[in-house]
Amino acid sequence: MTVNVRTAAVRADGLSRRYGATRALDEVDLTLDRGITGLLGPNGAGKTTLLSILATVNEPDAGRVSVFGLDPRNAGERVEIRRHLGYLPQELGYHRHFTVAGFLDYVAILKEITDRRRRAEEVARVLAAVSLERRARTRIRALSGGLRQRLGIAQALLGQPDLLILDEPTAGLDPEQRLRFRELLSELPGDPVIVLSTHQADDIAAICPTVVVLLQGRVRFGGTPSELTATAAGRVWAAAERDARAHLSWRGGDNRWRHIGDHPPPGAELVTPTVEDGYLLLSHAAGAR
Amino acid sequence: MTSSTPGPTGPVAGADWHASADVLAGYATGTADAAVVWSVEAHLTSCGRCRSALSEHADAERLARNRRVLLVRAALPEGGRVRGLLCRCGVPDHLLRLLAATPSLRKSWLLSVAGVLAVVAGEAAAVRYGRIPAHRPAGLSAYQDTVVLAPFLLVAPLLVLAGVAAAFLPMFDPASQLAVAAPFSGVTLLLVRAVSALAAALVVVVAAAVVVPGPGWLPVALLLPSLALCAFALAAATLMEPHAAAVTAGALWALPVLLLAAAHLPLLIVQRNAQLACAAVFCASALVLLLRRDRFDMGWTR
Repeated sequence: MTVNVRTAAVRADGLSRRYGATRALDEVDLTLDRGITGLLGPNGAGKTTLLSILATVNEPDAGRVSVFGLDPRNAGERVEIRRHLGYLPQELGYHRHFTVAGFLDYVAILKEITDRRRRAEEVARVLAAVSLERRARTRIRALSGGLRQRLGIAQALLGQPDLLILDEPTAGLDPEQRLRFRELLSELPGDPVIVLSTHQADDIAAICPTVVVLLQGRVRFGGTPSELTATAAGRVWAAAERDARAHLSWRGGDNRWRHIGDHPPPGAELVTPTVEDGYLLLSHAAGAR
Repeated sequence: MTSSTPGPTGPVAGADWHASADVLAGYATGTADAAVVWSVEAHLTSCGRCRSALSEHADAERLARNRRVLLVRAALPEGGRVRGLLCRCGVPDHLLRLLAATPSLRKSWLLSVAGVLAVVAGEAAAVRYGRIPAHRPAGLSAYQDTVVLAPFLLVAPLLVLAGVAAAFLPMFDPASQLAVAAPFSGVTLLLVRAVSALAAALVVVVAAAVVVPGPGWLPVALLLPSLALCAFALAAATLMEPHAAAVTAGALWALPVLLLAAAHLPLLIVQRNAQLACAAVFCASALVLLLRRDRFDMGWTR
């Protein structure tokens, strides 16, 4: 399934990738424009593999990628793509003896910001963006998981990239930090292409004009969050009792059972679906859960 | 009394003039000429009223940004004497900062190398000077002078190799994915780290070779084998997995050293023919490295 947007800033055609007997990606076609695209999928759906391929870190077994019209198979064009790239891997390792500022300075050099003054300005800018200014001298080994995640986001912002690839950026962030992160992405100058993967459907609903659902290595949905939500219209119910016929059901905060399925439970009331409901229905249909 | 410009001889502490709003605005935005800047700065040191007036002209956002930059610069490590010396020799500052991520340049690593060498060199010295009795076969007069060196000859180049391997193996760089996704040249990063690790380890090895009870030429004789081993490991890493390349290089050194030690001729490993072989290995490895350097640009490499 192809996500159609106006202009193709990033384009993937027929991407496939195997790890031994496991097929991580299965002929994925994707077209992304400037703005934020949310990548939704369960663990093992292929999100990290897809993002690492777009970030030129990993290579597909088959298929092609084009980023701003550049082909990463060509060494020169690959370097050019990297000059426009900010990447937060899912499991970013840190040199634990580095200070926060020292780590960002190191990554800034890797991003070819060699002038000391400009590097310091960039480091100061991204530290302010993630509210880590007061931790500039702190060693990374002394940071909590949430602070490290903010540091990871900060390094991805160095150099004001045109393509920002964030693999589960909100993992480890508390609710307030997640809201701050949404604000941060919304305020980024230059209208970059942002792709972020997450398990949090509410993050997608809050900040992503486009959502892609990846299940079992294949794109199962591409569209707006409201379109994803609409796929669950008329299939989400609230009732006092559990219904075994439902695809999924759980007890909500109001002590009533929320059912997702094709048959209304006895005495059930039709409720307004959410992005998460649409996603869960897709997952169920794909047999991924 | 307010003057639009400072007096001809410049302001004097306690003078009865004050800088005008235009002058302060020019000073704050950096558009005033040098003479005015000098006069205003001298005047500000003694005039609280003008200092207060100046704050109204300052760009608060710019000041905050400059403050953040200064804090960042203050938070960055200075790097010590060696880095200062290398900077004065013309090595770019940003290349030296990249070395901070090289584990084999850390004090703990170098102290460990020195410790291992101290043990093997100390053992050789103790045997050589009779503090530890050696089991020596009868009739081998030269045995005492050479076989005691076998542990040192085995370990010294391997420690240099380990230092270089730690500088290029991804397993020693927790942020290696960032290095891959960055535009900075992979081969430049590799060479900067490897050469620095090589140089640091060689200093320790040569120092140990000077004190070990061997021939006087031993410190120099260890240079080429160490260099050849490291070059071979780097070249092999373009053909196989990096850790396999490092292990292969180590085995290629350890096997002949052990065989020669078993034959009571360990010093042959650093004598003329071995030096020629090492030179050949080094040249061949350098050529492979040159031709296949793109393999260190990881990511899309097929």
